[in-house]
Amino acid sequence: MKKIEILKLESLSRAPMLVEGYLFEGNDPEAPSVAIVGAMEGATTLPLYSASKLVDFLRNKLGTGKILGDILVIPSVNHYALNINERFWPLDKTNINMMFPGYGLGETTQRIAHKLFEAIRGYDYGIVLETRSDLATCLPYVKLYKTGYEDIESARRLGLRIIHHREPESIETVSLQYNWQLWDSKACSIVCPHQPLIDPESARIILDSLINFLNNSGIIRYETFNGYDSTVVTRERIEVVQSPHSGIFIPTKKPGMTVSKDETIGKIVHALEGEVVHRFLAPCDGMITCTYMHSLIFENAVAYRIAKIH
Amino acid sequence: MIPEITEIFSSELPVGETLRIQRARFTPEKPDADAKRISIVSGIHGDELEGQLVIYLLAAWLRDHPEALRGTVDLYPAVNSLGVDTIIRGFPLYEIDLNRAFPGARNDFLPAQVVHALAEDVEGSDIAIDIHSSNIFLREIPQIRINKEFSEATLPLAKELNCDFIWVHDAVTVLEATFSHTMNARGTKTLVVEMGVGMRLTKAYGRQLLHGILNLMQQEGIIETPTAFKVRESFTSEVGDVFYINAPAAGLFVPALDHCDVIETGQWIGDIVDPLSGTVRESLYAPNGGVLFTLREYPVVYEGSLLARIFGVNDEKN
Ligand SMILES: [Zn+2]
Repeated sequence: MKKIEILKLESLSRAPMLVEGYLFEGNDPEAPSVAIVGAMEGATTLPLYSASKLVDFLRNKLGTGKILGDILVIPSVNHYALNINERFWPLDKTNINMMFPGYGLGETTQRIAHKLFEAIRGYDYGIVLETRSDLATCLPYVKLYKTGYEDIESARRLGLRIIHHREPESIETVSLQYNWQLWDSKACSIVCPHQPLIDPESARIILDSLINFLNNSGIIRYETFNGYDSTVVTRERIEVVQSPHSGIFIPTKKPGMTVSKDETIGKIVHALEGEVVHRFLAPCDGMITCTYMHSLIFENAVAYRIAKIH
Repeated sequence: MIPEITEIFSSELPVGETLRIQRARFTPEKPDADAKRISIVSGIHGDELEGQLVIYLLAAWLRDHPEALRGTVDLYPAVNSLGVDTIIRGFPLYEIDLNRAFPGARNDFLPAQVVHALAEDVEGSDIAIDIHSSNIFLREIPQIRINKEFSEATLPLAKELNCDFIWVHDAVTVLEATFSHTMNARGTKTLVVEMGVGMRLTKAYGRQLLHGILNLMQQEGIIETPTAFKVRESFTSEVGDVFYINAPAAGLFVPALDHCDVIETGQWIGDIVDPLSGTVRESLYAPNGGVLFTLREYPVVYEGSLLARIFGVNDEKN
């Protein structure tokens, strides 16, 4: 393993931010290569934790001679935000994951994106660890944009339960995954839950999926347990459950749980008077993929997303 | 004349408060059948307040001149009303840039519902003006931003608005989620004004744009008054180039000039200094002559932070 400098950025008063990648060189020139990008934003820690645990696995647990293809892991590209619990770039609040493919002569976050992209372009596979942008937490799942270049087969090798295969929104055309695909890497994202504290169970699922991917792609050799035979879900299959009232949201079912039609999955309590003002019933048989992640919920907010069973 | 105030969107917030987006409508008692409708929008970004002043001045003018009104004037001063009242640029909590969330949808999350309600309400207007004031980092001279895709319809209107500069830019996919793209695509000629700086008011700019809006409304028959609103001629980006000056290093940016100077190639624009050591880290000079139309207001910079933009005719092409 060697550490490579991805970028170094100075600040007026803070110590410089040095972003490094951990490069594990493979011993088989025929084997494919992969780059894995961890935290681009700072208000959530699972992307960071999962990437750093992968570094630990590859460095300390896998054993010598088992790495066939090159593996580059970049656990964080935004230490400045993580260290002060800011979500985006701390000065101008721009999102690095909306700056791709980057521009070396542009704004600060465009330059960060540019340097990161220079370092990860050309890898056969690309995996982005990210979180949802809409105040929802979720089960760990794969997000794969339909660009015409996407590769479902390799996304399946992660062995996660769900692959959400959908068209990118217009603002997602400047995301890392989208641009990585356009520049010839088979790229996908693992969407991680939002959690105030690391939940060891989700962390384990994400790390296992990365290890499965490496093993199933012939990048490492490692005896492990198989993941899921992923279900590919498109937008039409997601049922949205909105909250008809605002108030205090008490979910009783979590992402990843299967539910039956008309089963109670949560409630809303009046914020000042304590009465239950609404009970959420599952509108269909299916699996909860996302729930709203704050206790105070807005009127008409998306409380649940459920992948329907046909 | 008293406008009709309408809530175009409302939503119960969790704890004893209603989120509301309001519109003021000025309309004559007997409007002409072919009278036009103009919508003036601001506060899509909660930290931008220059539009509040322009809308105040316009509403006050309309109250004072009820006899002049022929068409309908709709005012939406605070689209991101939660953000405007709390110095938050995006939609609070969601941290969503509302100007990247259009057209939105009724069954989507709250920011998407808000922009959806705005777009539905403005739809059918002949003209819309979306007033922005840059952000807290940059100060801009009054200027219009126009997407090339719609410039044939919007450029003639932009010239009536008494702004200093009209910037026609290429179509970019990511900008399809803006208010102006959405409304232009629906047939409302929509202009984006950028002027001043975030979190502040620039009174002279407010009056300048009011003058331009009154002129445009006069030209379009929305108001009719004996007053002639003479407007300045704007520079248009199609006859020159925009030059960007980004910070080559981190530090404290100390500008050397006032805003909106006409400058020459090689002119000193400012220094990036290091207070700790008392040294100048970088001195910045104009790469090209022209009008400096953007100047950094917030002094802390990283490598890449935008310091200034100049519009001019490329020296090398001379
Ligand atoms: Zn703005």
